Amino acid sequence: MARTTERSKGPIRVGVLFSETGVTSTIGRSQLQGTLLAIDEINGAGGVDGREILPITFDAQSSPPRYAALAEHLITRDKVNVIFGCYMSSSRKAVLPVIEKWNKLLFYPTLYEGFEFSNNIIYTGAAPNQNSVQLAEFMTANFGSRVYLIGSDYIYPYESNRIMGDLVLQRPGSEKLAERYVPLDAAPADFDAIMRDIRSQQPNFIFSTVVGDSTAMLYSAYAQAGFDPKTMPIASLTTSEAEISQMGWDVAAGHYTSAPYFQSLDSENNRGALARLRRRFGDECVPNLCWEAAYFQMHMFANAMRHSEGDEIAQIMPQLLGSEFEAPQGRVRIDASNHHTCLYPRIGRAEATGQFKIVREARRPVHPDPYMVTHSLGDWTAKLEEQL
Amino acid sequence: MLRVAVLHPDDADGRQLTQQLQRIGCQVQAFWPPVPTLPEGTDVVFLAVQPEITQLEFEWSKSENAPTCIAVVTYENPTIVETVLRLKAKAVLPAPVRSFGLLSALVIARTVNSEIQCQSRRVRKLESKLAGARQIVEAKNILMRTRKVSEGQAYDLIREQAMSKRATTEDIAGAIINANEILSMGVVSAAPKGEDP
Repeated sequence: MARTTERSKGPIRVGVLFSETGVTSTIGRSQLQGTLLAIDEINGAGGVDGREILPITFDAQSSPPRYAALAEHLITRDKVNVIFGCYMSSSRKAVLPVIEKWNKLLFYPTLYEGFEFSNNIIYTGAAPNQNSVQLAEFMTANFGSRVYLIGSDYIYPYESNRIMGDLVLQRPGSEKLAERYVPLDAAPADFDAIMRDIRSQQPNFIFSTVVGDSTAMLYSAYAQAGFDPKTMPIASLTTSEAEISQMGWDVAAGHYTSAPYFQSLDSENNRGALARLRRRFGDECVPNLCWEAAYFQMHMFANAMRHSEGDEIAQIMPQLLGSEFEAPQGRVRIDASNHHTCLYPRIGRAEATGQFKIVREARRPVHPDPYMVTHSLGDWTAKLEEQL
Repeated sequence: MLRVAVLHPDDADGRQLTQQLQRIGCQVQAFWPPVPTLPEGTDVVFLAVQPEITQLEFEWSKSENAPTCIAVVTYENPTIVETVLRLKAKAVLPAPVRSFGLLSALVIARTVNSEIQCQSRRVRKLESKLAGARQIVEAKNILMRTRKVSEGQAYDLIREQAMSKRATTEDIAGAIINANEILSMGVVSAAPKGEDP
């Protein structure tokens, strides 16, 4: 049966809501570019059954109230049924009630601290069991179990630090030496006292949940203090290629990040996507884990649309749940029961080239467990393969 | 009229909350950031348990006759849940706040709070009663030992004293124990302690 109504021939309008300015704009811009690149690819290949995807883009300026207001605007004025966006948990939490109130759909391409499920959200970043568990395992096995926690002052670091602390404390001889927070708009001086404390406490490793522009300040303060990543590295879930480009490659070298995607991934899909990105946006964009999630989720949306009568949540959700896509990180799948995504945990060590050397890698996708129902260290099913 | 303090930012949820409370007949005052002391006579506190307040201490939540606390939560992760428990909240209201469900949460929380207060008063009373009974046994033993009287006579002595001094038998028993301790100072180790098994 052919669908030939006027409406179904017009473009599919979607809302795109990232932060192009403000403290998290480096990641925000990369997420926007991942989104736009995928839209370009989809439209270039004939759109969704001939229909173009038309992004309506706003800059949320790293401000949660602005996220909420713009989401409302996108839904009520621009009449979109689907929004792609958000980075910090506070921005997702600001948009969530708006999305639920109007029964719309949000694609959220960011790792976060878990403990959430909404019928109206598809989560394409890592849940804690897809990055924290592997990082705790790797760091404690290779460096020791005396950990020093530093984070930005908001909910994601509180909860992430708590999860990391709980995981590390399962190790014999483990110790949580401190849990320190700096403002989201921290200044370099905010790290001085922390570096002095680290010097006197001598942890085995530092776990950082600092996000945004202050990430570079932390790593710079570490370098200036003369610490050695070989014996006391910083481990993170959010320090990606984008943050590294802000701090300087030499400053980042030797530190570890746990993520399902690194730019250095040697796969056909990844090389292709990166080449197309460079052609479209030049070298200004710094691809990272959130860029990749933003990129593949748009393709998953387009694929679901090809099997759907329309873009309303009730029509498209059944097509999305359980769907798979050959993403740059590997073949991902949206879990039907919790709306999070099956991903490939990896551990990368930052090199002097600004890229990550992948030192551990999951061969099979890891099922998302946002409520951390199982999270024991030493569980061999969670163990990653060593990369030689 | 129920006096309710709403510790919540002045936003859509905060207004929804105060308006619905007013509709159901509560006297509402709203504050944000949270005030350290509550208005005199506050019966119920609605507290927005937001990430930035998880480190705060709320003295009012610790007092014996603390007002009923209802937590308004946006996140459901362990950090927030732990704060809700620490505040001894008796009900949780999820945000975004809907007017429906607020009344039930309020009634349940108030009932649970008064039951807990009632029970802890009862427990305290029973504990002191139990302690008193133990003291009477000890005082009887002292009298039996020093006066060479039977248990019944020892108890009669205590009760007579209580009646003439217009005190409770527990008070008299306490006084006897004290006096005995003072009088046997220095000979404690020599005194037989027959009453202890």
